[in-house]
Amino acid sequence: MKFLANLLDKARPTFQKGGSLSALKPLFDAIDAFMFNPLTQSKLAPHARDPLDVKRYMSMVIIALIPCTMASFYFFGWRMLPMIMVSYMAGGAVEVAFAVIRKEEINEGFLVTGLLFPLILPPGLPLWMVAVGVMFGVLVGKEIFGGTGRNLFNPALVGRCFLLLSYGGEMGGAWIEPGGGWFGRLGQYAETSVDAVSQATPLYDAAAEIPKFAPLSDLFYGNVLGCAGETSALALILGGVLLLIFGVASWRTVIPLLVGFGVMTVVLVGGDMQLVVWHYLAGGLLLGAFFMATDPVSSPMTNGGKFVYGALIGIATALIRLKTPLFEGMMFAILTGNMFAPIIDEVFIAMHVRGLRNEK
Amino acid sequence: MKPRGGYNVNLIGGPSGVVEKLSPPEKLCIPLHSRHLKFSELRVADGDSVSSGQTLAVDPEAFSVPLLAPCGGTAGLSRLDGHIVIENLNCPPDPAPDPELPTHVPYDSGQAAEKRRKLLELGAWQFVSNARTHQVADPDGTPSAVIVSTVHLEPFVARGSAICTGSINELVRGLEHLQSLLEYQAIHLVLPNVKLELAQDIQKTIRGHAWLKLSEVPLQMRYPFDNQTLLARHLGLFTEGDETVWFIPAAGVIAFDRALTLNRPCTSRIISLAGPVVKDPLHLEVPVGYPIDKIIAGRLTQDDNVRVVNGGILTGTQITEDQAGIDTECSGLTVLETPTVREMFGWLRLGCDRRSFSKCFTSTLKKAFGENLSTSLRGERRPCVACGQCVTVCPAGIMPNAIHKYLFSDELEQAQRLRTDLCAECGLCSYICPSKIDLYDELVRAKVRIAEELGPPAEEPEEQAAQENQEEDVA
Ligand code: SF4
Ligand code: SF4
Repeated sequence: MKFLANLLDKARPTFQKGGSLSALKPLFDAIDAFMFNPLTQSKLAPHARDPLDVKRYMSMVIIALIPCTMASFYFFGWRMLPMIMVSYMAGGAVEVAFAVIRKEEINEGFLVTGLLFPLILPPGLPLWMVAVGVMFGVLVGKEIFGGTGRNLFNPALVGRCFLLLSYGGEMGGAWIEPGGGWFGRLGQYAETSVDAVSQATPLYDAAAEIPKFAPLSDLFYGNVLGCAGETSALALILGGVLLLIFGVASWRTVIPLLVGFGVMTVVLVGGDMQLVVWHYLAGGLLLGAFFMATDPVSSPMTNGGKFVYGALIGIATALIRLKTPLFEGMMFAILTGNMFAPIIDEVFIAMHVRGLRNEK
Repeated sequence: MKPRGGYNVNLIGGPSGVVEKLSPPEKLCIPLHSRHLKFSELRVADGDSVSSGQTLAVDPEAFSVPLLAPCGGTAGLSRLDGHIVIENLNCPPDPAPDPELPTHVPYDSGQAAEKRRKLLELGAWQFVSNARTHQVADPDGTPSAVIVSTVHLEPFVARGSAICTGSINELVRGLEHLQSLLEYQAIHLVLPNVKLELAQDIQKTIRGHAWLKLSEVPLQMRYPFDNQTLLARHLGLFTEGDETVWFIPAAGVIAFDRALTLNRPCTSRIISLAGPVVKDPLHLEVPVGYPIDKIIAGRLTQDDNVRVVNGGILTGTQITEDQAGIDTECSGLTVLETPTVREMFGWLRLGCDRRSFSKCFTSTLKKAFGENLSTSLRGERRPCVACGQCVTVCPAGIMPNAIHKYLFSDELEQAQRLRTDLCAECGLCSYICPSKIDLYDELVRAKVRIAEELGPPAEEPEEQAAQENQEEDVA
């Protein structure tokens, strides 16, 4: 430990102002602060502060993503590893580049995007596409708005949307048959060319009106074709509930979303309860509901706004899934929700202000 | 308005109930300004010899509240910037309390003006503040209600119990004097809602007395519900928007008694000396101007790497070289450690020992416990991640994050529309913000700017109607 600290101390002057690598200061600072708590002090009152910081806040999301990341390794093999690494590296490069240009700190929000992104991709996608997608997502979804905290859209979804629109064919043909048994595909590296199947995902068949394609239990455990981290409802619910307990995801978004989706689905498909449950478990709904829609930056900041926003996304998802030729509705629904978030906030802030008018 | 938000920061090293009276120092260094007062009009010259209780300076902006000499001696004006130094001290000890003094004073409202003048001259009036602005109240004004509080919750300022214990008779007499200044207005006496001997003693002494019109307010012991603005709001005393509510802490009521019953100047304060690095945290009775280095000498567990805060950790101000002695508004000194050790992978730890407002640490599973907080920021400054914690914790019911967003883009009108003026200045939003944004400081500054640059909000009916229309359109 001492050795590491000394090493960092020794390297520091190189990255300070006037040092030969001063341009890379944000990178050095990020690594430095990642390893050791900085000694920064409060300058103004309050003189002491709560232990929660953005690093911790974001790592709670990573912890909650562990179950479904593990599930993706189990079902689709350790091809997930390079996917995640490529996503981190390519996205990280954009993040660092912008931090250097803007002379700002590197933001931890990227740690979440980097992991979430591969989880919403077909597991057999070529790695270069993962790289292109995440770079586009971070660049267009976040950096051009000014970085984490100022972005309008969820960067991971922007990246995926981009891939879907530009490389729709590849996206639709990169599924991997999930592994089973004790070890799933844990020992294998599924090669796209060999293992990829371009057959229907569960939701695709839903659109083709063969809804009972996959048995409910398979959907629940995740033993179906689909995006890497989206298949296992069990893992997603586990992580999602954790995230709700940590208070990082707001139940004010999740619950209206799930209820809105359920109600709309019942309205559209009739009383077939099994089908409704099937729709809950299939596709990106749960991952979107717990991890994407709840992204605090791109959702409304008012509590009431979160309700409306959640319900809006839920209803829109059901509508897109059942009433349009698109078979997956979550992504577009959330992006639409993101777009409306500031307007929803405006309304609820106006209501909030009105609620305060009697306080003099 | 119902109480909402709030949070108790549990810091170890709370002051015990002991009140130690310090012996007179060699010299006094009396600061010429404190949080709300600026004694800019000097009444003595350099080298003058002054007597105990003499007016050294007054604050012309605050109804000429005087700065009184706690002891006689030679005044030095140029010895120390911003201070009056008194040397060759001659401090007459307070005579022992007269056992003959009655517990109650007769009701006499005839001399209200005379009494107010006396309170001002003897230094007791500076305790009376306007609950809306926290500034000294107008001694000639008429309040619509008065709040007297025996509860101080911020870690760590002098506790109400330490101030009142042993002075219950003084407190009750002070309340009676206060009542005689008023006409019909109610006095709201704020007591802790937990069963405390002190509260019961006060109640007993008061109940024996018929003409004192008090309404007792049991207070939920959660910071910052003891805040004067919030108290006035919770009690429903602000409904018109132009009422004046007086707020007087227990120490002020005791000062009333000292000034009006004993005719003595109020020049000493009971302060706390507390915090994680104080050996035996306690209360101290000190004259104003007592040198701070003398107070803390030998009482800390470490001499280096400490920060001394004037007041509590949430709203106090750091004591720097600019302040050498206790000021006239000081309610406590809190001493914190400054961090020196960098913890490896600190953000990855489970956090059993880190108490947090959020639920992101395993300490959530434990009962509340005291923590050794240092002055560490515990994280790095980041843009707002919209976690919403500041909205949850804010006792004033405003949205610090939304206001921050507008202030960031310098839209002062929007900040005004979001009711920055309601901020009770408790500091909790800054305390809990994971992005370490100095919301409290921003809001306090914005409040001042709004009052100066924009004046009172324009509340035109058309505007409201337009707003409503707009809302409907959007919905
Ligand atoms: S906005 Fe004001 S009242 Fe609300 S938490 Fe912050 S300092 Fe306290
Ligand atoms: S606590 Fe800080 S990060 Fe969270 S919403 Fe408020 S300002 Fe933003």
